[in-house]
Amino acid sequence: MSSAAILRASIEAKIPSAFTVYRRPEQKSIPTGIFQIDSLTAGIPMSALTEICGSELASSGKTTVMISLLAQATQKHFCALVDANDSFDPSSALAAGVNFCRLLWVRCGKNQSKLKPMEQAFKTTDMLLQSGGFGLLVVDLSSLPERLVRKVPLTTWFRFSRVVEKQRAALVFLSQKPHATSCAGLVLHLKTNPAVWSGNLLTQFRLEAEIVRSREKKPTQSAKPGFSVPSQWV
Amino acid sequence: MFACLFAPDFSVQAALRLEPEDRREVLKQSPIAILEGPASLPRVMAGNEPARLAGIEMDMTRLQVETCGRVWLRKRSQANEDAAQMALLDCATSFSPRVESTAPGTVILDLAGTEKLFGRAQALAQKIAMRAAEFGFDLNVAIAGNPDTAFYAARGFTGITIVPAGEEAERLASLPVDVLSTSPEMRNTLEILDSWGIRNFRALALLPPVPVVERLGQEGLRLQKIARGETKRPLAPAEASADFIESFEFEEPVETLESLTFILNRLLQQVCVRLASRSLATNELRLKLELEARQLHSGENKESYQRAWKLPLPIQDPKVLFRLVYLDLEGNTQPAPIRKILVQAMAVKPRYVQSGLFNPASPEAEQLEITLARIRGVVGNADAYGTPCVGSPRVLDTHKPDSFAVQPFSGLDEESDSSLPPTPVISLRIFRPAPETNVELAGEKPCSITLHKKLLRVLAASGPWRSSGNWWDATASWTRDEWDVALKTTEGVGFYRIYLDRIKNQWFVEGGFD
Repeated sequence: MSSAAILRASIEAKIPSAFTVYRRPEQKSIPTGIFQIDSLTAGIPMSALTEICGSELASSGKTTVMISLLAQATQKHFCALVDANDSFDPSSALAAGVNFCRLLWVRCGKNQSKLKPMEQAFKTTDMLLQSGGFGLLVVDLSSLPERLVRKVPLTTWFRFSRVVEKQRAALVFLSQKPHATSCAGLVLHLKTNPAVWSGNLLTQFRLEAEIVRSREKKPTQSAKPGFSVPSQWV
Repeated sequence: MFACLFAPDFSVQAALRLEPEDRREVLKQSPIAILEGPASLPRVMAGNEPARLAGIEMDMTRLQVETCGRVWLRKRSQANEDAAQMALLDCATSFSPRVESTAPGTVILDLAGTEKLFGRAQALAQKIAMRAAEFGFDLNVAIAGNPDTAFYAARGFTGITIVPAGEEAERLASLPVDVLSTSPEMRNTLEILDSWGIRNFRALALLPPVPVVERLGQEGLRLQKIARGETKRPLAPAEASADFIESFEFEEPVETLESLTFILNRLLQQVCVRLASRSLATNELRLKLELEARQLHSGENKESYQRAWKLPLPIQDPKVLFRLVYLDLEGNTQPAPIRKILVQAMAVKPRYVQSGLFNPASPEAEQLEITLARIRGVVGNADAYGTPCVGSPRVLDTHKPDSFAVQPFSGLDEESDSSLPPTPVISLRIFRPAPETNVELAGEKPCSITLHKKLLRVLAASGPWRSSGNWWDATASWTRDEWDVALKTTEGVGFYRIYLDRIKNQWFVEGGFD
C-alpha cells in the first residue's frame, strides 16, 4: 500500500467524511416558456432569488417574460403575484395561458394604508414565503420609482434569498435595475430591438435577454439571446 | 333504553359555560347567584350548591345576597341559556339521532341500537359525561328502560345512574317526592302528599291505586306510576337546529380588544365543538357586536358592528376562525364599548380531499386563509371601486378593456380550460387609473404625446381601433378610439396603448407593451 493510501486510510479512520465529495442536490427550475432563455439558463431556478430587469419607460419585454413564466408555472404549481403598483393585465395573462385558479394576485397600493406600496409588497412577500405551498412568487416592483427600490437595504435581499433557499419555490423580482447583487441566483436583463410592423399593425416584438448573473450556469460574456414575441392579435 | 342528561342549576351552568375550564372549576366551588328582574331591584332566580349552603334563597334581593358574604353575582341571560340548551342537544345528538328537549337543562335520548357503537350502559354513560364536559357541562346522567324513570333518576341522583330493567321501583324508592315538582301546578298535589306523610317514592308507590285516583285524580295515578317506574311514553324528538349561534352579554361593556377576544375565543370553541359533534363544518361565519349606543361619537350613528366571512372551504378549527376574526377586529376600531357579542356559523358538510400523487403541492388550506386575512390587513380589502385586492383574477365576459374581477383564492386545484399558446405573446402593463394625456395629431394620426410630463415624439402609430359598449345605459356606456404607438423615450423605444374617450373627448394612456 502506498504511503498516500495509508495516509488517506488513517485520516478516514478518524474523520470518515473527510474525502467525501459534497454533491449539491440537483436544482429544479421552472421554464420561462421562451426557448432561447431556457436553453441558456435552464429556466428560473427554484429555491433561489431571481431578478428580471428592464426599462420601464421604454418597452423591454420583462412583463412578457413574467407572464410567460406564470403561464408555465401555473401548469404545475400554485403561484402568487405581488403587484406593487397594480399593473397586471389579466387579459394578457389569459392570452398567454395562465391558469387563474392557481394564481393568487395581490394588488398593493390600493388603499389609504400607512404603508407605502413597496412596503406592502415586501410585507406580503414575507407572509407568502412563511405560508409556503407556492411554487413561484413573483414580486413586480418595476412600476415603482427606481430611487425607492434602490434604497432597499441589502439585508432585505439577503433575508429573502436565505428564506427561499430552504423552500421549493422560486422567488422572482421584476424591477428596472438589478439590486439583489450576489443574493440573486439569476439576473436577466431585457431590452427590445426595433419591432416588426406589418403595414399599419404592430405584429412582433424583438427582444434581447442578457444573463447578467447566473449561479448555476456561468454565462458567456457574449450570450445575449434574441427572440421574437408576436402580438396577441396576430 | 333511554338516557337522560340533566344539568343541575342549569342557569348557573349556562352562565359559566363560556368560562375557561380552570376558572370554571374554581367558580363551581364558590357561591354563585343568578339575578333576574328590573335593574333597580333584581332578585335571585337560581344559585349553585355552595350558594345554598351560604344561605342564599330564591327571590332574595341583591342587598340581601351581599349580606351572605362573598358571592359571585351574574345577570340572567336568556340568550346564554338558549345557546346552552342547543349545545346540550348537540351533545346528545352525537350519541343518538332521537333526542328530546324535555326541559331547560334536560334532554332525553333514545339509545336503541347504539350498544354496538358505544358499548354497555355504564361505558356509554361515562362517554356522555365526558363529552358533556367538553361542552362545559357538569351533568347527571341516568339510563333506564323508560324516559320518565331516566328523567327522575337524573334529577334525583348525582353522577351516573344505571337503572336495570325491572328494578325501577326499587332504585327510585329512596327519591324524595319533591323531585316530582317540575311545574308550579304540581305544588298543590305535593302538598297533599306531604300532608299524608308521603315523603319518598317508595311510600307513593305503595299506596293503593284506586283511593289515589279517587283523591288526586288521574294526575295522582300518573305520579304513582312514575314512582313505580311503570310509565311508558314516546319521545318527542327535537328538530335538529341548523343554526349554530353562541352569544355573550357582558355585565359591563368592554372597551379593550383583549377582553373581547377572550370571550370570542370561547364562543368560537363552543361553536366548533357543536359543529364537530354533528360532523359538520362552517363555510360562513358571522359576527355581530352590539355597541353601547349612548356613548357613540357624534356622526357615527352605529349601534352594532356586523361582519361576515365567506370561507372558500369548510373549516372546523376554532383557532383558524379566531385568527380570521381577530385580524379583522384588530384593523377596525369600534366607536363605542361593546355590550354583546354574537357568533353564528353556517353549517355545511366538511371537506374530504382525496390526495393524489400528481396533484401540485398547494398551500395548507387553513393556514392559507389566515395568511390571506393578514395580507388583506396590509393591502386592504378592496379598491375604490369595490374590487377585492387579494384573490384570483378572472376576465369578465365583455368587450370593455381592462374588465376583470377578483375571486376568492381557495388553493384548491380546479379544472381549468387554459391552454398554453405555442409561443408567448406581447403583454400589456396597465396604468390604473389611466392617466390623462395630451395628444397632438397630424391629420388623424397622433404625432406627439405628453407622458410623464414630457413631450414624446410618435415614431409609428397603429389605429384607430374603435370599440364601444353598453350604449343602452347612459351611465355605463363607453366608446373609444385606440392607438398603439411607438414613442421615442430617453431609454429607447416605448410601445404604448393610448385611447380617445369619445364621450369625454379626452385622451388617456391605457398602458405600455412590455
